[in-house]
Amino acid sequence: MKQHKKGLALWLTAILLLLAGALLTGSPGRAEGVQEAMRDAVLHNVNQISLFGWKTVNPGMISAFTVTAVLLLAAACLRIFAIPRFQMVPGKLQLLLEETVGLFDRMARTNSPHRFGFLGAYIFSAGAYIFVGTLFELLGLQAVTTHGTPVTLPAPLSDVNAAIALGTLSYLVILSGGVTANGAKGVGKTLKEFSLPISMSFRLFGALLSGLLVTELVYYFVHLSFVLPVVVGVMFTMLHALIQTYVLTMLTALYYGEVSEPSHS
Amino acid sequence: MNIPLNIDWQQILLHWMNLAILTGGLYFLLFKPVKQFMEKREAHYKDLDAQAAGKLEEAERVKAEYQARLAGAEEEIHQSRIKAQAAVQQSAEEQLAQAQAQAKQIIAHAQAEAEHSRERVMRESQKELRKLAAEAARKLAVQADPFSQFLDLAEGGRHEER
Repeated sequence: MKQHKKGLALWLTAILLLLAGALLTGSPGRAEGVQEAMRDAVLHNVNQISLFGWKTVNPGMISAFTVTAVLLLAAACLRIFAIPRFQMVPGKLQLLLEETVGLFDRMARTNSPHRFGFLGAYIFSAGAYIFVGTLFELLGLQAVTTHGTPVTLPAPLSDVNAAIALGTLSYLVILSGGVTANGAKGVGKTLKEFSLPISMSFRLFGALLSGLLVTELVYYFVHLSFVLPVVVGVMFTMLHALIQTYVLTMLTALYYGEVSEPSHS
Repeated sequence: MNIPLNIDWQQILLHWMNLAILTGGLYFLLFKPVKQFMEKREAHYKDLDAQAAGKLEEAERVKAEYQARLAGAEEEIHQSRIKAQAAVQQSAEEQLAQAQAQAKQIIAHAQAEAEHSRERVMRESQKELRKLAAEAARKLAVQADPFSQFLDLAEGGRHEER
């Protein structure tokens, strides 16, 4: 008991010493003000990263490639090591994989009962991309900008280009469903929802960017960097990772089902 | 043209390419194999279900067949019982008739025997009577003086009156 108290006191002292050290040491001075930092988080026109020396891209582009690489690597590992060992009575990992695949497959079947094969595969990958991409910002991976300063890699979809790409790609997938099922009529049905790519893109962008801005703001000030990030950084990120995944996949499946429904002449 | 929000078409195309790679990769590496396995398992359980349903149907058919057979057997038992009862009845009647005939025969025999006995007794009685009469006659013939006998008889009668 005495030893336990001693350990606790030591731990608290270490924390207080580190806090005092952090506050007293001070920072070498910021390269940018909070307005500049937040403006750059939206526009990405200052901190850019060189893509293999070919082109300067937004940090979100690097995040997107990293997320894809991580997902494909994990998928390859699962394909090689886990899937061949699947049993009729599933274990924990198998159950998780089956539930994830089954969730998107069921979503596709339910919302688009006439045509769901490709839709299931697309919303599965889009869902995985949004979910893992949003959680990716929690890792706080660093990259070096073209100016030689480090920058934390953000969630890919907090980059407007990534959000537009995913929104328009989802719209094109919906259009392809309409064309395949109903030909020219399907095109008409899809074009009727002309606001869809914009709403999908900017919904994603807005949701992810707001998270990024709040996190940026919180970390900008040292005195806000204790305890608060646990709530705004982790819980909010996890929550909107789930919500945005659900919203985009559900909307895509819903509109896909609507335009691919055989027309009754 | 200066596009607002720093939108870059080249980067959008790069994101499209990235998403196309991701979609294809995840489809072939994860979605398809997992779905195939799930379908295989579903087919396996459907097959088991169909087999069980087939066996159940077969069992129901066998049960119905045995029930029909059981119903037939009950009818057969009923018929056999009726037949056996009839046979028993007939046998009893036959035995009764036989017993009656036997009884009649015994009675007739007994009557004949009785008649024969009566005749024999009568014959023997007559024979005895004749013998007694002959004896009495013989005694009468060899007896003493009839007068003294008369007296004796008379005295004997007096004594009896006293």
